[in-house]
Amino acid sequence: MKKQKKLIRLTTLLWDSLKRLNRSRLKQIQTVMDDFSDKCLETTKDSHLFNTAVEKGWLIGAESIRSKIERNLNEFSHHLQRFKELINSDESISPNFIDIFGELLQIEQEFGKLNIDFKEKTISVITEDIVLNDFSFGPFEIRLFINQIKKLYNDSPYRIIAIEPNPAGNNSDVTHPHVSGEKLCEGEGHVAIRAAIEQGRFNDFFTLVKSILQTYNPDSAYINLDDWEGRGCYDCGDTISADESYYCEKCDREYCGNCATYCKVCDTTVCLGCSIECPDCKRSICTDCTNTCLECERRFCEDCLNKEGLCEDCEAERIENEEQHSEKIDAEV
Amino acid sequence: MRIMFINNQGAGYANYVQIADNTTIQQFFAIKMQDQQEADYLIRVNRMPVPKDYVLQDGDRVTITPVKIEGAQPVLLEQIV
Repeated sequence: MKKQKKLIRLTTLLWDSLKRLNRSRLKQIQTVMDDFSDKCLETTKDSHLFNTAVEKGWLIGAESIRSKIERNLNEFSHHLQRFKELINSDESISPNFIDIFGELLQIEQEFGKLNIDFKEKTISVITEDIVLNDFSFGPFEIRLFINQIKKLYNDSPYRIIAIEPNPAGNNSDVTHPHVSGEKLCEGEGHVAIRAAIEQGRFNDFFTLVKSILQTYNPDSAYINLDDWEGRGCYDCGDTISADESYYCEKCDREYCGNCATYCKVCDTTVCLGCSIECPDCKRSICTDCTNTCLECERRFCEDCLNKEGLCEDCEAERIENEEQHSEKIDAEV
Repeated sequence: MRIMFINNQGAGYANYVQIADNTTIQQFFAIKMQDQQEADYLIRVNRMPVPKDYVLQDGDRVTITPVKIEGAQPVLLEQIV
């Protein structure tokens, strides 16, 4: 009895939400109808003006009105087409209280359990483990936000929540090839899902979403299953497998082979950002193994600076200066 | 006689259709879902699974839903409305 009451309360909530959705759809029709009506009015005005111009022999004026009508015709046909489409979509079958109640009972039959949260105003079901091409993604919760049904034409009123997430290696938001940030890319199911919600066929809605979760479309996945376990190179973003990744000990990030190197002095693996090329010997070295030339302040590997901390060029320059200086003194003497 | 047919394939068509008396659900599927395999669909009559030889009755509600649908990048609503 308690369960029945709960379902009746839920049915009322859903029914109200569908009525609000229907109102928003009718408002949309009203807006388009107003646009269409304005266009018709404009045409009527143009027709009167055209008639007057022809009658009075204002041929240039008549020609100008004619070209204005010609320009407006394209716009007019667009409005007419849009109006027709909206009016045609009005053929949807409006659900009644009993239909919605039946849907809720069917959800329990098909999915085993219907989770209801009156506080958050959500209903949800949990799928079985989703396995695609031997990859297991665990079960998913399909959660419908009743208060958001009225925004169906602008936003998705449901979320796909991974219960035991196995996200893509390089993007933890992608928990399924077609789910990112808890939003499903509906693809071929988009129109059917929208129709199911509009018509209060909530069991069909959950079933359709489940059917998409059970299907892998490699041509339009957020991340292909072939790349699922790979991580992203921090520098170039390329997907890398665990075997191909290089860990930079200086910045604590992972890189691909093209974006990593090793220090020729201390043999540590480093990324290109944490290493430099010694201007003298051209070897790559980590920042810890560099020293600054006291004269030119460029950074060199330890081997390319002399005991006084000078690079080869600066050392040569100093010797040259010293020689010139001593020659000058000799000349003066 | 008239039955309610909800086809969740494609655009999610839902409407009343006329069928001949004594049509079984298997025959109905063959007519409406030409060249399709029954195994690829969830077929429900009055919200329940039924045997293939179930004879449809006036006022029945038939739902056919594909078990596999390809997800993809979202289609802009403006393209549909």
